[in-house]
Amino acid sequence: MADFLSFDTLSLHAGQTLDKEFGSRAQPIHQTTSYVFPDTDTASSLFNLERGGHVYNRISNPTIGVLEQRVAALEGGSASVCVSSGMSAVFCALTAIVSQGDHVVASANMYGGNISLLKNTLPRFGITTTFVDPTDLKSLESAIQENTKIVFGELIGNPGLSIMDIEGVAKICKKNHLPLMIDGTFNTPYLCRCFEHGANIIVHSLTKWMGGHGTSIGGAVVDGGNFDWGLNNNFPTLTEAYAPFTGINFWEEFGPSAFATRIRAEAMRDIGPSMSPMNAFLLLQGIETLSLRMDKHLSNTKALLEYLSNHDQVSWVNHPDLPDHDSHQMAKKYMPKGAGSIITFGVKGGRDAGKAFIENVKLASHLANVGDAKTLIIHPATTTHSRIDAEALIAAGITEDMVRISVGIEDVSDIQDDFNKGFRAAKKFC
Amino acid sequence: MYIEINKKKVFASTGGKPFTKDQPLVLFIHGSGLDHTFWGLHSRFFAFRNYSVLCLDTPGHTNSDGPALNSIEEMGDWVNDVITHLDAKQISIVGHSQGCLVGMEYASRYPEKIMSVSLITSGYETPVNSFLLDAAENNPEIAVNKMISWGFGEAGHMFQGTIPGNSMLVGGYKTMFKNPLHIDLHACNNYKGGKKAASSIKAPCQLILAGKDLMAPRKSGMALADALPQTRELHVIDDCGHMLPLESPNECRNLLKNFIFSNNPTG
Repeated sequence: MADFLSFDTLSLHAGQTLDKEFGSRAQPIHQTTSYVFPDTDTASSLFNLERGGHVYNRISNPTIGVLEQRVAALEGGSASVCVSSGMSAVFCALTAIVSQGDHVVASANMYGGNISLLKNTLPRFGITTTFVDPTDLKSLESAIQENTKIVFGELIGNPGLSIMDIEGVAKICKKNHLPLMIDGTFNTPYLCRCFEHGANIIVHSLTKWMGGHGTSIGGAVVDGGNFDWGLNNNFPTLTEAYAPFTGINFWEEFGPSAFATRIRAEAMRDIGPSMSPMNAFLLLQGIETLSLRMDKHLSNTKALLEYLSNHDQVSWVNHPDLPDHDSHQMAKKYMPKGAGSIITFGVKGGRDAGKAFIENVKLASHLANVGDAKTLIIHPATTTHSRIDAEALIAAGITEDMVRISVGIEDVSDIQDDFNKGFRAAKKFC
Repeated sequence: MYIEINKKKVFASTGGKPFTKDQPLVLFIHGSGLDHTFWGLHSRFFAFRNYSVLCLDTPGHTNSDGPALNSIEEMGDWVNDVITHLDAKQISIVGHSQGCLVGMEYASRYPEKIMSVSLITSGYETPVNSFLLDAAENNPEIAVNKMISWGFGEAGHMFQGTIPGNSMLVGGYKTMFKNPLHIDLHACNNYKGGKKAASSIKAPCQLILAGKDLMAPRKSGMALADALPQTRELHVIDDCGHMLPLESPNECRNLLKNFIFSNNPTG
């Protein structure tokens, strides 16, 4: 008998306590703002973090709580906090640690929103970032400063698709006693459980593969419970008295879940990026089938890689599972099932050919999202990454002719037929 | 807070309020491989109701200097050293598992200041099977997996819990993995003085057992109940495993509250 429940079982059941009154099998949606206290002592206990439970929806909610516990279970984290979006998750996680005058080392090959937050928004609050090539461990280590508080990157860089050597980076972080935060959106815990390779914090856009149906925006911060915040005096937000909660010391009192508790106590209360209960319910439905969908995403990706690699109108194809990809060995090491379902490729004929291709596919949806069960397509240089400068575009591995596909779970022959229509339209620009 | 005992740094969390020797003390003692964070859902409650609180990290555990102590008797003496150093009075002991053995040993040999003893999920002896002892010494990952798997009931395994987003299972694993589990388990296995210690306790005792405890089965808990003085209370929380203070924190806290409030009242 196994010691613990397995991934697929946890995807369906983790976090849910069966409703004792009505026996609802599905997790009920607690669409309420607040919760009736049985007595004043219980009320004060809840406010003072003496007991678990719910006070007000900005802080926590029973339906969202199930989602949080399920995400923590799948990642192997000690705690999780779900928020309104993946960007909220990144913001809440960073600001739980960094303050004015602090510094972040971050991968240059990340989602444009992450880059913009670090490059444009946080500097207004005195928080600076050095961007590095995540595959260049020497430059990553040399970017660490005395005031650095965290190292942040994506396992699968978006959209360049380079794979971070997470164990190599974790080793550098450990040597410098810095937490390593990974955006695990593209890999999901089904492909790689980053805590097992040395990450300390994982953030997710649950909107993508975790939810998987393009219905709901949501994010999660997962606390690995594996970082010693008290080893030196470098993390005062977690190890010094926090006045708004009667001088609570998160590290002393909550140990492995100190980081998540700080987010709950501060960011959720003072900033309020709360998820809606309905979104939590829909994301839970998605997670129930995560492994089934991911397997289909991967098999379709494999078939499309072959199709695109052999197509005479394709100038290049980029995916870490291709043997000639720079990160192929890293992909095999960290994601043996497959390195996700994002493919980027160049259409011969440049920008105009790419435009014609995108405008003439019908099954694939032209939109700004990834990880939907449906196939999605976009031109990153003019959309998701349009607000970052030319230098940052190059650092992120984005070219003018790049088309990004988020491979869906339709019958792959139908996706190929659809792409054939796009290529026919693009042919006149070749 | 940190204090120094026998030239070693000792850590105890105090429930969010400073320790003061002038208030009655609730002294929490953790089980094998665990630490002060095990009591997070109980310590603040008492600290904010005019009790001083100490959730100790025993030597070699989490924030306290090592080496870990090799016997329950030594741990009982060490607790007395801590209490003497702090000049605490009017003490309510709350122990879990191995912490019960330590609490009984301390309360039986240093009875003067003890107002009440609450024992959670333990027998008077806790024999440990040779497989687990061997694994704890030579393959800690397997031992910790078994301890956490056997220690938690359904709520833990299903990642349920009263604190939104928290995983008791993973939190417990992370804590136990960094602590000297093998020394604790050997100390438990070698301890034979529990029956005598239990019967020697002068203060009122409370025993809280878990209906689905695989680590300290109800039978051994009932034997401890029989060994305790007649003034004892006995409670069984049915749908719960060995890690009862985490799995059923509200029921556990209510039982502790009623017992400690009545036997060790604040001024």
